[in-house]
Amino acid sequence: MTVLLLAVLAFALAAVALTRRRLLWGVAVLGAHSLVLAALYFALSAPDVALAEAAIGFGLVTFVYLLAIRRTGRIAVAAVECRPLLYPEGEEVVGLVWELLELLAARTHRELELRWVERGEVEGLLSSREADLAAGDLVPSARETAFPRVPLLPTRIVRVRRGKGPLGAISGSREAERLPRGGRLFPRRGELLEALERGELGGAVVNLLELRSFYLRGTFRDAEIEPLEDADFVVLFAPDEGELAEALREIMTELREKGEWEELLRRYL
Amino acid sequence: MKRALTIALLATLLGILLFGLTDLFPPAEVRPWAEMARAYGAGNGVASIVLGSRLYDTLLEVLVFALAMVGVRYTLKPLGKWREPVVPERGVVREMADVLLPVIIVFAVYLAASGHLGPGGGFPAGAIAGSGLLLLAMAKGIERLSRELHEGTLEPLEYGTIAVLLVLGCLSIPLNHRGSGLLVVFNLLIGIEVTIGAWVVLHYFASHRGEI
Repeated sequence: MTVLLLAVLAFALAAVALTRRRLLWGVAVLGAHSLVLAALYFALSAPDVALAEAAIGFGLVTFVYLLAIRRTGRIAVAAVECRPLLYPEGEEVVGLVWELLELLAARTHRELELRWVERGEVEGLLSSREADLAAGDLVPSARETAFPRVPLLPTRIVRVRRGKGPLGAISGSREAERLPRGGRLFPRRGELLEALERGELGGAVVNLLELRSFYLRGTFRDAEIEPLEDADFVVLFAPDEGELAEALREIMTELREKGEWEELLRRYL
Repeated sequence: MKRALTIALLATLLGILLFGLTDLFPPAEVRPWAEMARAYGAGNGVASIVLGSRLYDTLLEVLVFALAMVGVRYTLKPLGKWREPVVPERGVVREMADVLLPVIIVFAVYLAASGHLGPGGGFPAGAIAGSGLLLLAMAKGIERLSRELHEGTLEPLEYGTIAVLLVLGCLSIPLNHRGSGLLVVFNLLIGIEVTIGAWVVLHYFASHRGEI
């Protein structure tokens, strides 16, 4: 009976290990699977084999996997689309922030795993550690300032008014917090823009890059602009990824010292 | 198709497992251990099994292991090396390594030294000590640990251990000397060999960028 139970448990753990999305959890469950296998061998009165399984399957192999993950692990990036910081172009991802992230990945020997998200999802993804960092159209809201962050670019939050009607902003952002009462929230920049073009809104609370993209599309040619506050575009990190933030900070310092930062800014802005 | 195959494979595995649980295969006849122990000069049942049917098996196993190690060493040597990553391990791993390492090493030595009395022996002992080294490597950084371990002395130690093992193993046949004392020596040597092997394989895998 014990043997059957242990065998079923071993199968179940193997299945769980196979379905984990994060490699680290997969390895942890695989370790548990090895321990159950060792117990199974013990129950089948083979203590010697059980010991070898525990030592090699649970000890050695788990450590080898952990080291391999550390060398080749992934950085899960929650990306908020934002031209020209971080945006898809065909099959590829490009942008100023993307270049920085690639430097970060090279330095920490990890691969980037990008996932496009809405602005409002960022906080949840970071605090549940489903994402290691978030970047793109990201001016931290009051609650998001609790996460480790690296400022990239100074910007300004402005109120743009073109006529009568409610103001709009992207939900979950710092801009949304500066929205006066009666304002309307949109999950993505594109939807805000469409609402503006349909004339449903009398204006918006946006940051300078959004303002720029509106200008480029001719939406705000004759609008009245009022600055609300100075802020920064940042890269936000999950609570325990302070070391990753430190690595990015070092990269920024080096780029500034070598003068390559200005070069990047000229190229993208 | 894929799903059906997976299910079929799992069902087969489960079937084999259940089949093994039935009493279709009676256990093999084993000579009573006291008789075997007298024949091999062993002091107890475990030692008699190890000396009687496992000794040369284990010795050749260690030889295979050593060959694998040499293979890893010479295939990976020409490849380029990684730079040490800047992201260090978190404090909790370092603290836990401090606490766990003595326990792991003591347990490994105990297993090797008592291999003739109970389950254990050189191989698992070496694997456990090797995991201890890996834990230390995670906490300290591989390159730093490698410098502290003196890679240069490890290599002669490793080949020397194999040589001593093989000589002792071969000599024990013509001299017909077998006994628990010899087993302790064997187990300790095998333990050292496997520990070094685990470290070398891991160090080479971790520090060389093998790109496919």
